[in-house]
Amino acid sequence: MKTKIAELRRAAGLTQEELAKKADVTRQTIISLEQGRYNPSLKLAYDITKVLGKRHVEDVFEQD
Amino acid sequence: MFGRPEWFGRRKYGGWGLSPKTWQGWAYILVMALPVYAFQALGLNGEGLFALTLAWIAIFILDIIDIMAKLKKDEREKQIESLAERNSAWAMVAVITAGIGYQVSQSIVNNAYSVDMFLFAALIAGALVKGATNAYLERRM
Repeated sequence: MKTKIAELRRAAGLTQEELAKKADVTRQTIISLEQGRYNPSLKLAYDITKVLGKRHVEDVFEQD
Repeated sequence: MFGRPEWFGRRKYGGWGLSPKTWQGWAYILVMALPVYAFQALGLNGEGLFALTLAWIAIFILDIIDIMAKLKKDEREKQIESLAERNSAWAMVAVITAGIGYQVSQSIVNNAYSVDMFLFAALIAGALVKGATNAYLERRM
């Protein structure tokens, strides 16, 4: 799954650690998500979308 | 109980248990280990010393289990841990089964029963736990 997490995170002025804390996951999970190595659950996808200030999950995540 | 989960991380490489990740974690290990040595200086007889040491080690192990149960893991870490524990269980089942097979063959060759019942008990315990876990999770999820 492709994501725009890294781009949106930088635009929001957040470090990986800060995003991880807000989404209640580890920094390593954020790294895996940004590199497309891990597909999140629906709940985590929604949480990250909300933290990044977007309304729709599709604005952050995209099917390959 | 005594230790706090935030002082530790999950041991990922080299066995099971906890890895201290803060100075409090290291201090906890030291504080929990020191009494075992201090008991030797109390001048107790063999049985008393053994009982006291065993009781303290039991408290230590229970606390470790309590901390491990409370360790915070996100969904990715839970998935990784589940797969690692599954692979570990398969490896153990394979070795135990091979061990039982070897002991049975030796029993036949030597015409003398010499199979360790703990090996059977380990396989049965594992099968029961797997069945119970499947039954519980099938209803819950």
